[in-house]
Amino acid sequence: MKKRKIKNIILDVKDLKKTFGNNIILNNINFNLLEGESLAIIGASGSGKSVLLKNIIGLLEPDTGSIKINSTEMVNLPRRDKENLLLKLGITFQHGALFDSLKIWENIIFKIQNQQKISKIDGRKLALSIIKRLSLKPEILDLFPSEISGGMQKRVAIARAICGNPKILLFDEPTSGLDPVTGSVIDKLIITAVKTIGASAITITHDMASVSRIADKVILIDKKTISWSGTPKEMLVSKNLKIKEFIKSTNPKLFS
Amino acid sequence: MIKTILNLFGSVGNKSLKFIANIGHFFIFCFSAISWIFRPPWYFKKILLQVIDIGYFSLPVVGLTTFFSGMVLALQTYNGFTEFNSESTVARVVLTSITRELGPVLTGLMVAGRIGAKMAAEIATMKVTEQIDALGTLGTRPMQYLIAPKIIASVICLPFLVFVGNTIGILGGYTIAIFKLDFNPDLYLFATLDNLQWIDLVQGSVKAATFGLIISMVSCYFGFNASKGAEGVGYATTVSVVVSSVMILTSTYIITALFFG
Ligand SMILES: Nc1ncnc2c1ncn2[C@@H]1O[C@H](COP(=O)(O)OP(=O)(O)O)[C@@H](O)[C@H]1O
Ligand SMILES: [Mg+2]
Repeated sequence: MKKRKIKNIILDVKDLKKTFGNNIILNNINFNLLEGESLAIIGASGSGKSVLLKNIIGLLEPDTGSIKINSTEMVNLPRRDKENLLLKLGITFQHGALFDSLKIWENIIFKIQNQQKISKIDGRKLALSIIKRLSLKPEILDLFPSEISGGMQKRVAIARAICGNPKILLFDEPTSGLDPVTGSVIDKLIITAVKTIGASAITITHDMASVSRIADKVILIDKKTISWSGTPKEMLVSKNLKIKEFIKSTNPKLFS
Repeated sequence: MIKTILNLFGSVGNKSLKFIANIGHFFIFCFSAISWIFRPPWYFKKILLQVIDIGYFSLPVVGLTTFFSGMVLALQTYNGFTEFNSESTVARVVLTSITRELGPVLTGLMVAGRIGAKMAAEIATMKVTEQIDALGTLGTRPMQYLIAPKIIASVICLPFLVFVGNTIGILGGYTIAIFKLDFNPDLYLFATLDNLQWIDLVQGSVKAATFGLIISMVSCYFGFNASKGAEGVGYATTVSVVVSSVMILTSTYIITALFFG
């Protein structure tokens, strides 16, 4: 995507450090996300990508450092303010995290329903309009999460995240476990959200093809910190050994 | 040698400190959960679903256990007190034992096994699969949405279940007294009603409500703090049943002592 005028900083992470007990997971993490920008985070399993995401949304508290969303400091923010801020984000978790006890359509409109009264008919309509964008069939609306396939669950989780058109999207491995065709549907959706709604997105992924499609900027987490960052194009020609290894092992074709 | 002993003390001390820390953690959790009960919004639909699950679907198991206990009580009282095996003695022993102790405790233990395990497993699964994390990002507070309805429903339902259990238990005693011991039905019934005391019923209800609180709190606590993986769910389930059972038996003593000690 081409650079527009001066862009606002939507998310600003500074000097973030996170430990569990004596175990340092992340250290010295610095990056930001601009308005209308799509950022991909890559890194080996267990490198702390999900932990970073959970720090950003306040589910984990960093040991030190600062996380600003729309210039509001998230660290030590009072509960009520944090709750209000979180309503502006669309988040998916690595394992889907759909509510077992609710039907698909109730899952999708869960956030909206908590904010305003919405009739069953309107709720289902809203859910339907969203799942169509994700090439899901209307029949699934009245099923429970356990009754649909893992790939569908993944897409329903994305539907729940984008319901209400949040301006900041955070996706934890949205395409892992999906076939390439469905994966590219989700990539397109992320691109559309960023381009047409002007949302900003962070996507954690292992899929290099996906990275080159969706991202304006890439960061690699390795050895507890951001060891490389750049554009997808720079990534493909990078001399960084980790990046090379990463591309080779996940998608050798891109290398040619 | 000395080193081994020191190590032993060290590890015992360490375990004790952890245990105390956990108890503190548990009470902070309880305090927070209870404070959420009194703050809007209230999820009435969720409360109702819990009430049906706890209050209605526990009836068979509670009825069955108390009925047989009433029968056993009548039979044993009759055999044990051969000199005074009158309607009045058997009826009074059955009534008092059931309303004061057996009704509430058996009901509590049965519900701990049935509902406590279910609550712990449900919440632990939600924790492990990040559903609880998701709740917090979608405009609800997990404590308020998940835990508060369970506590409210448990505290409402247990006294009701105990009342039903008591009635069925007394009926069990009556069945034995009339059909096996050939007692006079009118005299037995009269003796039962004559010995019925308000204080016993109040005490039984206090116990029941306390057990409801214990079962829901303990199960939710262990579910909420489950560690990752399937073992986490299994552990949370087992340990919450064991801990709530022990706490039920401890607290029944304390409440009895407060009322009659
Ligand atoms: N709640 C937690 N408590 C302790 N350790 C954790 C916790 N969450 C994650 N970790 C550890 O942090 C490291 C990074 O995990 P994660 O962020 O999930 O990796 P990934 O990059 O694959 O998403 C792992 O070693 C994991 O075991
Ligand atoms: Mg992860």
